[in-house]
Amino acid sequence: MKNIFWLACFAALFAAGCSSSTTTDSDAPAADASIPESNLVGEIKIDGSSTVQPISDAVREEFIKLHPQVNVIVSGNGTGNGFRSFYDKGTDVSDASRPIKAGEFEKCQANGVSFIELPVAYDGLTIAVNPENDWVKELTIEQLTKMFVGDDAAKNWSDVDPSWPNEPIKIFAPGTGSGTYDYFHEVLAKANDSELRGDMTLNENDNILVQGVAGNKYSIGFFGVAYYAANKDRLRAVPIVNPKDNTAYEPSVENISSNKYAPFSRPLFIYVNSESLNRAEVQTFVEFYIENVSDLCEAANSVRLPQEIIDHAQQNLDARELGTHFVTEDGESREGAFAELFQNENLVK
Amino acid sequence: MSIDSISQDAPQDPGVQRPIPEAIRQGASATAESTLNSRHRKRVSKAFYGLCVAISLLSVLVLVVLLISIAVQGHSRLTPTLLTGSHSTSEPASSGMYPAIIGSLAICFVCALSALPLGIGTAIFLEEFQPTNIWLRRLHGFINLNISNLAGVPSIVYGLLGLSLFVFMFNAFGQIKVNESSGTEIMGVERYYQVLTLAGGGDSVLIPQSDLSQPTITITEPMPAVDRQGNTFQLEVWDPKSETPKPSDPAIRHRTVRLGQGGGAYAKTSWYYFRLPFGRSFLAAGLTLSLVILPIVIIASQESLRSVSPSLREASYGLGATKWQTVRNVSLPAAIPGIMTGAILAMGRAIGEAAPILVVLGATVAKNSGPQNLMDTVVTMPVLIFHWAGDPQFTYQQLAAAAIIVLLLILLLMNSVAIYLRQKMRIE
Repeated sequence: MKNIFWLACFAALFAAGCSSSTTTDSDAPAADASIPESNLVGEIKIDGSSTVQPISDAVREEFIKLHPQVNVIVSGNGTGNGFRSFYDKGTDVSDASRPIKAGEFEKCQANGVSFIELPVAYDGLTIAVNPENDWVKELTIEQLTKMFVGDDAAKNWSDVDPSWPNEPIKIFAPGTGSGTYDYFHEVLAKANDSELRGDMTLNENDNILVQGVAGNKYSIGFFGVAYYAANKDRLRAVPIVNPKDNTAYEPSVENISSNKYAPFSRPLFIYVNSESLNRAEVQTFVEFYIENVSDLCEAANSVRLPQEIIDHAQQNLDARELGTHFVTEDGESREGAFAELFQNENLVK
Repeated sequence: MSIDSISQDAPQDPGVQRPIPEAIRQGASATAESTLNSRHRKRVSKAFYGLCVAISLLSVLVLVVLLISIAVQGHSRLTPTLLTGSHSTSEPASSGMYPAIIGSLAICFVCALSALPLGIGTAIFLEEFQPTNIWLRRLHGFINLNISNLAGVPSIVYGLLGLSLFVFMFNAFGQIKVNESSGTEIMGVERYYQVLTLAGGGDSVLIPQSDLSQPTITITEPMPAVDRQGNTFQLEVWDPKSETPKPSDPAIRHRTVRLGQGGGAYAKTSWYYFRLPFGRSFLAAGLTLSLVILPIVIIASQESLRSVSPSLREASYGLGATKWQTVRNVSLPAAIPGIMTGAILAMGRAIGEAAPILVVLGATVAKNSGPQNLMDTVVTMPVLIFHWAGDPQFTYQQLAAAAIIVLLLILLLMNSVAIYLRQKMRIE
């Protein structure tokens, strides 16, 4: 009989939770009387890049203020893992910090998943060191290659530059399922077909990387600029020498959007399942996303896209232009600058 | 210095009994030698006592340091917002743990509901119904051995088991996909198409779905629809190419859709919505946790049944009671306080587990409410604390400490309610 009482306590708490949750939900929009309460319902599943996740989270929070009955679930398991659930029809929207790969595109085609590719923001892949690190003033691509590529990569800072301390380099990097890892790999190692060194500390959670770099004087790490901007007092971003004009640029908003922070400026995408887009809640959410992402991404410490690219994305969404711009008809990844590739004639369904 | 002198006197192992001094054997009550010996032994005894106190104080000290550091870090965030708000990335200061508290309690509820009857039942079988047949005895011993082994299995292993057993159900019932009905939804779901109306701002109507194989609908003619109160009405269609102007009355706009407007499937679920496989739901998480605590419940209940005096049982048998009557009226009531203690400890473990929950539900913490139906996902307190503690922003660090305080208080509350009930049972 005491067991029953105990269970009854739980049941009461549980019931209180369920009922009061709905009241708290509806309180928020009721405060603003000018907006009529939306009756939109449903569930939207989002997974993918942890670099895009802060943007999607910000959009989600604004969206559910307007549509409190829509359940938006945002996960950040990495671009590659996100695409895996996307082509298995596990998610409606996939966040990506790199364009879809040819192999993933084939899987989508094989599983009958068609999608709309929408760029949402710019990111500067930031190479960060500890603030106590006073020897690294700037890094060139050659130095980065020396530090990050191959199993015979530099063990100590002095191996990269003899004037630097003779201390081991401690590297914190995103996991291999992340688009940031893939992008970094592509910039440094794709050309000569080698791999990034195997002895880095990998983690899909960028916050762990931030803490790792902030906690060790001889460490270095790389992640999206949003995670650097949120932790400016504990990290120092290293200016990267642009191979075109041999000048070092910081990952600042201006340098990223003007593409001076090359080659580590990159666009971020969302991929929307076209079948899900028939659903009223997904359609409303994605339209809200594209309309508001430029303002919201700055709050999430990313860099807004030029208006013409957002307009183009908006047109593609309105016209339901399916397919990707970054894979050719023969299943090869396209090479080139983002703005040149993001044209309708490059679309492959 | 005296220790040195003694060790010179007695170079052999101090544990070994030294020969009784000749004077004492002759009848003297004490000699210089024996006094020295007894003083030495008393000193060693005192030193050992001091060591014991120091060791136990050390563990208390660790607890005190933990509590103080958490209190210092988290006290500024112990606000009503912490209990009523939900996780927010854009405004960390307004974050709260309301959905996590409800989620943890919901999971605990499922866990208690499944693990306690199973565990106590197993313990009764193992303790009260011991067979006499040699083969059945061996089977009994085998089960006993395995339960002790299961108690030592790390919880993350149970998480992986729960993932394939409850979340995916070995894919025997298909996979859960977006835009598709899994086909094994047993109850609590009504299927509609949701179509946007002319009112804008995400306003929509629901149209009952008759054919599950059609995930989308295109509105070409007026058809019956339902509003959110469940009333059926006739849905109007407005053709933008026709001469008729777009209706301006908001009431009509709410009931009118554009010609050719598409709509997708929407599953309206009641709280008892039940589906196979369970997916990433709190039901799956609760059942997984019940696997984690089942061996603990069984072993604690066994211990407590074992400690019931055999004479009580024998008296019951002597009065002609059957085995079941003895268990029901004698053994179980006598053992209940002990069983309760085991159950409390087990539930405390369940509410604090993070690893199996992370495997079963994933690390998502952005959710604004408790579970809305049996198949809904939840955020739990340990996972939320894990997420906040991993975030380098200072506000989240403070929030994590405050959330730990809340978690400890809830644990304390649960335990004290259970201890109170246990005391009450004992008097009865």
